[in-house]
Amino acid sequence: MSQTNIQEELNRAQTEPLLPIEKKLIGWSLGIGIVLLVALALLNHFAPATF
Amino acid sequence: MRRNEFMSEATVNEFRPQRADAVTAPISEDWLAVVLGLSIFVLALAAVVNVDLIGWVVTTSVWSNFGQALKATSKDFSSLGGYGALVATYVALLVVLSAGAVALRANVARFALAFTAVFWIAYASWVIGNYANFAAVTPAEQQKFGISWSLKLTNEGGYIFALIAGLIIANFFPRFAEAVKEAVRPELYIKVAIVILGGVFAVTAASKLGFASSLLLRGVAAIVEAYLIYWAVVYYVARKWFGFNREWAAPLASGISICGVSAAIAVGGAIRARPVVPVLVSSLVVIFAVVEVLILPFIAQAFLSHQPLVAGAWMGLAVKTDGAAVAAGGITESLILAKNAAEGVNYQTGWILGTATTVKVFIDIFIGIWAFVLGYIWTNHINVTPDQDKAKAKEIWQRFPKFIIGFVITFAVGLYLALGTPADIAKKVPAAIGEANTFRVIFFILTFFSIGVLSNLKTLWQEGFGKLAAVYVLSLFGFVIWVGLLISWIFFGGVTPPLAS
Repeated sequence: MSQTNIQEELNRAQTEPLLPIEKKLIGWSLGIGIVLLVALALLNHFAPATF
Repeated sequence: MRRNEFMSEATVNEFRPQRADAVTAPISEDWLAVVLGLSIFVLALAAVVNVDLIGWVVTTSVWSNFGQALKATSKDFSSLGGYGALVATYVALLVVLSAGAVALRANVARFALAFTAVFWIAYASWVIGNYANFAAVTPAEQQKFGISWSLKLTNEGGYIFALIAGLIIANFFPRFAEAVKEAVRPELYIKVAIVILGGVFAVTAASKLGFASSLLLRGVAAIVEAYLIYWAVVYYVARKWFGFNREWAAPLASGISICGVSAAIAVGGAIRARPVVPVLVSSLVVIFAVVEVLILPFIAQAFLSHQPLVAGAWMGLAVKTDGAAVAAGGITESLILAKNAAEGVNYQTGWILGTATTVKVFIDIFIGIWAFVLGYIWTNHINVTPDQDKAKAKEIWQRFPKFIIGFVITFAVGLYLALGTPADIAKKVPAAIGEANTFRVIFFILTFFSIGVLSNLKTLWQEGFGKLAAVYVLSLFGFVIWVGLLISWIFFGGVTPPLAS
């Protein structure tokens, strides 16, 4: 594994601009994630963890 | 190597995707872990009907006189003595794991020799870590052992000693590390431990089912955090700020934000990346996991000792790779319980480790689904591939971490036995599962040592590694651990485990 030349591998990788589908993926992930977290936090607020 | 070949290897053996044995093995490490973990669990449960089958397994106590360090777990086997129990444990593990090596199509003779070295060095490190000057916590303990100072690492500080022993071997004796690599299988060991842990945690949770259900809510939040928040941010950072292309950015984001090695390899396969990419990302993840294990539990002890469950959830979220995360949960539990014990507060054991493990297991469950989602987007919209190479739903099951099935089974059976059986049976369950838990501790020790042996720090100085490491450092220390801490606080802030009776 360590014998692989990482520098060579990275140099071989060409720069690629962010595609609209990637922007959508990032945006939707964050959006859904934040909404779900807020919903879960609210749920937790009304039914908090307790022993 | 063709892509499909790599994928089948990767699911079988995450740490050594280049191994030939894994390709043709009739059983994967995941399934082997389920078989081994369940076998230990079932054998332990025989004690419920008064048949003690594994009480001979060795356990170590904090010691100042070496003669008192080792003993058999059950009094029924006290005649064995400490050394007898240790040898019996070694022989039993050697036989069982060698049989496992046969199933994995590994070289059995080489495995047996390597395991012998791994077991004795790892367990010796554990015993040293249990020396009173390292492990004793309370003034009463120090008085008992006749010592005036202690590092107060608790007996589970022995894990750190095993990790350091592995690191020394990896970095100063690389030829020896190479010689024992057949038995250096941290993912196998931790998965066996996690299967057993399901039953152990069930016994703990049975007394507080209300909290156990709250923990499920936290598990769902962990999935949302890791997959939807962390992944998106890290992917953006890797792509936009560091200029990585998609082939590198997706496995890198998965490795940093989800579950280290497993996720990097699953996603690498799903987006049809070249095998070298997730393998290199994995080598980075393992090294950073070691750094996290050595640092985060002590930070948690310093700043979160009065928020034990926040600390547990934090370990499950922030530390990458199953082995390191669950192990960090174990160390954090011992350190925090010790600090509280020194202040006169004695919490029940098991809750911090259980919280860390549950969070980690919940995150693992989703790996296959996330890999499929990304695979679908990549093969249909980014690198459009022919129909036969497009992502298929069956890949979800192929990439599902099977050891979770073992965890769920032992948890369900443990819960049933603790709550659904007559009182005379239920009262024997904790002691029975306690014997299995002794094996869990031994598999933890083997995990720590193995992680150390795999962590050659020279890798970090390899040309080109800096850029990968920079994304990791920036994302992990600039974002992942703090968001994990914040959200752990929202869900568990102010909640403390029950006091020990």
